[in-house]
Amino acid sequence: MFTGENIVQTVVGLLHSLYGMVGLSSFQGILDPIVAAVVMFHFIAVFVMFLVWMERKVSAHMQSRIGPNRVGVFGLLQTLADAIKLTIKEDVKPVKRDKIPYYIAPIIAFVATFMGMVVIPFDKGMVVQDLNIGLLYIIAITSFTVIAILTAGWSSNNKFALLGGFRSAAQIVSYEVPLVLSLVPIIMITGKLSLGAIVAYQQQQGYWFVIPQAIAFLIFITSATAEANRAPFDIPEAESELIGGFHTEYSGVKFAMFFLGEYIAVVVSSAVASTVFLGGWLPFPFMGFLHLPGFVWFMAKLLLVIYLIMAFRWTFPRLRVDQLMDFGWKVLIPISIINILVTGFWILLVAKGA
Amino acid sequence: MGIFRYFKNVVMGLYNLCVGLSITTKYFFKKTTTQQYPEERLPLPERSRSMIKLIYDGEKDQFNCVACMMCAKACPNSCIKLEGVRDEGGKRRMTTFKLDFSTCIFCGYCVEACGFDALTFVSEEYENSVYKRGSLLQDENAMKWARPAHLAPKTEEPAAAAAPAGA
Repeated sequence: MFTGENIVQTVVGLLHSLYGMVGLSSFQGILDPIVAAVVMFHFIAVFVMFLVWMERKVSAHMQSRIGPNRVGVFGLLQTLADAIKLTIKEDVKPVKRDKIPYYIAPIIAFVATFMGMVVIPFDKGMVVQDLNIGLLYIIAITSFTVIAILTAGWSSNNKFALLGGFRSAAQIVSYEVPLVLSLVPIIMITGKLSLGAIVAYQQQQGYWFVIPQAIAFLIFITSATAEANRAPFDIPEAESELIGGFHTEYSGVKFAMFFLGEYIAVVVSSAVASTVFLGGWLPFPFMGFLHLPGFVWFMAKLLLVIYLIMAFRWTFPRLRVDQLMDFGWKVLIPISIINILVTGFWILLVAKGA
Repeated sequence: MGIFRYFKNVVMGLYNLCVGLSITTKYFFKKTTTQQYPEERLPLPERSRSMIKLIYDGEKDQFNCVACMMCAKACPNSCIKLEGVRDEGGKRRMTTFKLDFSTCIFCGYCVEACGFDALTFVSEEYENSVYKRGSLLQDENAMKWARPAHLAPKTEEPAAAAAPAGA
């Protein structure tokens, strides 16, 4: 059968025989992760290009415009043209920058979010490494972006960049809490942290976690939007207040890396949402007779969640800083704690009793 | 803040967010209103003012202009230069007409001043950019324009003049 697992097995088999042909079989353990990283990098680069195009199209159609339609079919190559423009652009640097952090910050911003892709299961067995602490790993790794943003803000030697960095630190630290708390009920029910195991549990139970845990899903999507610094929570880079926020002083390739990092953060959060709450590679309800491979369903769910996050951006106005903190600490955190309590009682009284 | 009011605020906020999302989703599937200009052109109103033209009477095979110089006098930038002769029948007739569009501000005073229905604004020619400044100096051949019958001024019709209530 044509499934993600079979494709991965075939490709890995071919790769291993290729190692044998060039006499590198003993380095299999080193080469496999490198190949996986390269494949994942190219996938994510092309996917982010598609997402930027999609975002521009979505925003355009929500405002009764057409959006990019000149470069390539439907303007699909517009992002490629933008990327070429960014790479050949002059790299303008502030003279009094703090040199080493200034160069490291965009790399951290990109790498920290990109590392989250390691544990995302595209299909059963179609995953770089299904860690048994997958969810914890993603939460830990993606919070590195706050370091990148703070470093960028500090090293730029610019008051707007510094303010953006501080705002971002406050925001990400606040919204990390409801993000984790919204995932706790799922971990309590399944007893697993591995994303593959969580999907397998949903398959076994026959329902997606979005149905019993709709509140957790909403909290997760909201906090994930805030974590990715996207509107309506884009105060770290609020154009009308801070020019560009932490990336004010960045141009060319370094700016492109921040941009890439932001979109990868969206992809990772949406992938976690579609895996944990929407059943990952499981088919949509009443559409299982189509027998499509699992990664098609996964990508459909991923794009759906990404569309939702894009719709947030182009619908809701930006929050003020105090409103943002109020919303995080006074609404999201209490409600997610109540959600955990209710889930705990449900496990104690219903699930265990049955 | 009471606990019920707190939850009411949360639920109402969620509802209002959903209302906003439904509006943007509705517009997402609506038809776009963009006109892609070089390929698609909106029809201009017939009497919109885009370019100044000299009216050419096809039946008499001559311009309406009689070189009375009223337009040249009315022009605030003095960008109209014209000459005329008196022909054998004793009537004045325009021989050369030059309008320098590089200094013209399209104020329309010349059209206002014209007493012989010889100058007019036309709607369809609005792409007037050129590569050389000299190309903006247009003569009577470049400004020649035969007026279609449906754009003829209504005051000339005797029926309309006789019955002003009907106009």
